[in-house]
Amino acid sequence: MSGGRRALRGPAVVALVMSLVLAACADDDEDEAAQETTTTAAEEPVRGGTLVAALSADPGHLNPAITTSGTTHPASEILYNGLVGVDNDLELQPELAESWEITEDGAVYTFTLRDGVTWHDGTPFTSADVKFTFDEMLLKLHGRTRASVGPALAGIETPDPQTVVFRFKAPYAPLLQQLDVTEAPILPKHKYEGTDPSQNPTNTAPVGTGPFKFVSYTKGSEIRMERNPDYFKDDLPYLDEIVIRIIPEQSAQVLALEGGEVDWISIPGGPEFSRLESAQDVEVTRTAWNPGGSNCIMTMTLNLDRPAFQDVRTRQAIAHALDRKQFLDQILFGVGKVAEAPISSGIPWAHHEDVDLPEFDRAEAERLLDEAGWTREGDGVRVASGVEGVPDGTRFAIDFLHFPTFAKYGELVRQQLGAVGIEVTQEPLEPAVFPGPVFQQRDFDTNVISYCNGSEPQIGVRRMFHSSQISPAPFTNAAGYRNAEVDRLFDEAAGEVDQAARGRIYRQIQEIVAEDQPYVWIVETEGARAYDAACTGFKFQNGLFAEAAYCRR
Amino acid sequence: MTPRYILRRLAQALPTVAGIIVVTFALVHLAPGDPIVALAGESGDEAHYRFMREKFGLDRPLAAQFTTYAGNVLSADLGTSFVHGRPVFSVIAERLPATLLLMVTALVVSSAVGIALGAVVARRPGGALDLGVTVAALVGYAVPAFWLGQVALLTLAFGTGWFPLQGMTDARASNTGVEAVVDVAHHLALPALVLAASELAMITRLTRAGLLQELGKDYVRFARAKGVAPGRAMVRHALPNALLPVITVIGARVGFLFSGAVLIETVFAWPGLGQLLLSAVRTRDYPVLMGVFLLVSLAVVVANLVTDLIYARIDPRIRYR
Repeated sequence: MSGGRRALRGPAVVALVMSLVLAACADDDEDEAAQETTTTAAEEPVRGGTLVAALSADPGHLNPAITTSGTTHPASEILYNGLVGVDNDLELQPELAESWEITEDGAVYTFTLRDGVTWHDGTPFTSADVKFTFDEMLLKLHGRTRASVGPALAGIETPDPQTVVFRFKAPYAPLLQQLDVTEAPILPKHKYEGTDPSQNPTNTAPVGTGPFKFVSYTKGSEIRMERNPDYFKDDLPYLDEIVIRIIPEQSAQVLALEGGEVDWISIPGGPEFSRLESAQDVEVTRTAWNPGGSNCIMTMTLNLDRPAFQDVRTRQAIAHALDRKQFLDQILFGVGKVAEAPISSGIPWAHHEDVDLPEFDRAEAERLLDEAGWTREGDGVRVASGVEGVPDGTRFAIDFLHFPTFAKYGELVRQQLGAVGIEVTQEPLEPAVFPGPVFQQRDFDTNVISYCNGSEPQIGVRRMFHSSQISPAPFTNAAGYRNAEVDRLFDEAAGEVDQAARGRIYRQIQEIVAEDQPYVWIVETEGARAYDAACTGFKFQNGLFAEAAYCRR
Repeated sequence: MTPRYILRRLAQALPTVAGIIVVTFALVHLAPGDPIVALAGESGDEAHYRFMREKFGLDRPLAAQFTTYAGNVLSADLGTSFVHGRPVFSVIAERLPATLLLMVTALVVSSAVGIALGAVVARRPGGALDLGVTVAALVGYAVPAFWLGQVALLTLAFGTGWFPLQGMTDARASNTGVEAVVDVAHHLALPALVLAASELAMITRLTRAGLLQELGKDYVRFARAKGVAPGRAMVRHALPNALLPVITVIGARVGFLFSGAVLIETVFAWPGLGQLLLSAVRTRDYPVLMGVFLLVSLAVVVANLVTDLIYARIDPRIRYR
């Protein structure tokens, strides 16, 4: 490219960029959420231009209905739409569905589809596309939608091309949250009918209804898309072109952004975040939404099959021994917050604000461990003396399994539990290996998992606590936690349609599990998007990130 | 060196390749890990994982999986990638040109420059130039490629802006014709240089050592005595003999060069086989992993054969039958 951001350093440009940054910072202070979609009223969006976004791995294919992959989704969602969208304030917005009606206490949802929507190849979009996408793709191959909507659904009917009816076996509350482009993108029936959707050539030359149309996919290198002039939302999109570049190294993405080769990257909390936050021509916005999952809590699992963790005092002691503020400061560089409850604060209607999680208190931890029968001489490792199920004289030495990327969590846990006389051995395991010992063999003492709560506790939270979820399936109930009351409450919440009433049930659940402490909820993580300060109008809560974005340059 | 000899050598390679298939299949499948998380995601239920295992044949016994795989390979079918949903053959073929471009450039640059540099410094062993090149070569050989890549990226690309930071083309321009070639060359320069660095260092050292040895021999002294100029004595007489070990080494380095390319491609976001291999390892995309391993082992076998043939060309004492 000729120039790049480095060439933009004329004094006038610096002044302009600075004023944009300052304006955005001011917005930040007042209302972080509102700043995201809205641009200053006086500012007219600019048409045209190319936005270059970075992606960390080659997605392989561009069909978001057959996978929950964290690379396919960010690479392809902007080509499609869901029936319903979610805006930056988590409010529902009509997308392919113009309106909807909920009847029979929440067991029947009737959607009226938008008129005149066409696929990128000109074929009209109809209710048959919706039914086909659900029946043949989402309910078979999309892990989350299959596991949540699937078992509850009785069937999908299409009385006419403009109407879709979802009929459930019993009232089903969370459907509307599960119809956005991430959970339920709608794909064209005429391209997929009669084929195996996972091997259909359309997967690498996709046809959608979204704001951008597919142009080319150079494997391993880039995906190019152009403006869809027939997009059903008037005036949108503003950009002419989006290029998604595959850049595997996080540090290389950051350099490419600073060097002007790339305009938009996703980064986790950490040292690179703070570096970009202080870069003058780069804007950084935090979001709890990530393609791999949203509202994630870094959670330490205590394997309840192990005799050492039978005593609740021992589990509480471990929670007291962890200084969670240090995790936030040293690992996330402040991007995120200390977990305050078992359900993420990103689901405000279900999150419990006043539940008592054990505070950092080393003396209390030591006292509880003494009481539980783990005795200590001097600064040594504790030894069992009267712990049920553990032979006297056994040292309190445990393993801690983690993804290699979570090694710093292991270091802090080792250090902080070491201070109260528990010896921790770190065992880094690749993501492809981790589920084996944890969920299939259940052969571990403790681990750390990023449990993403999503927007619906029935999907993102229940799997951690319900006894039916003690299974070889990855990222289910790792602790092996069983509590009949908790099971019953989750089942009750599933059939409750009123959100306030559901919220009360989830708060009750949080009080019980906080007392039982099968897990230690450490920190709520956030991701961030960093982008060229000349660009604005992004969405952060779903995959249509650049639907209304534009760049001033 | 007859066509018959070449055929025989290729036939001898067959059992090697068969062995490679068995061993890599065992290694890839027995190593801990499971492609199911990459395939089914992190939030599916048990039924979904079971369904996906069946869909991809992962529920079948390993022996049955191997029989199917070996049968397919015999009929030139490398299977279908789990992640890409397309034939492994085309998944690899799409990435091969980028890696070949990178590796061949690095190989040519390191060989040509390395031999030339070795010859130059061999003229005055112990001189300032020799000392400088020797130290540089030692450092170049010892430094890991990924580190050198990061440093080059930070200084030569980010610091000075002389080179692009990532990729094989400019994302904002759709160049054609000569401009496209220049664009790719501009993007290629830095990764190729970094990849060439350690090879270059070694070839320089080898050429220098070989030449110094040959220059002291009687036939060179004789050539000089009958009036051949020093430069000509070196290039025409000593160099061909000094190059024999160098050529062996160049041929034997193809495998190493590939492993270097894996790292370099990741640092510079170069869209080649190295990146493909790395993501296939992460997702345990067994068919792609096997395909890449197979291709690389074939490349090593062929490189060895080519080395032997060139060797016979240069050294008249060697004749293959």
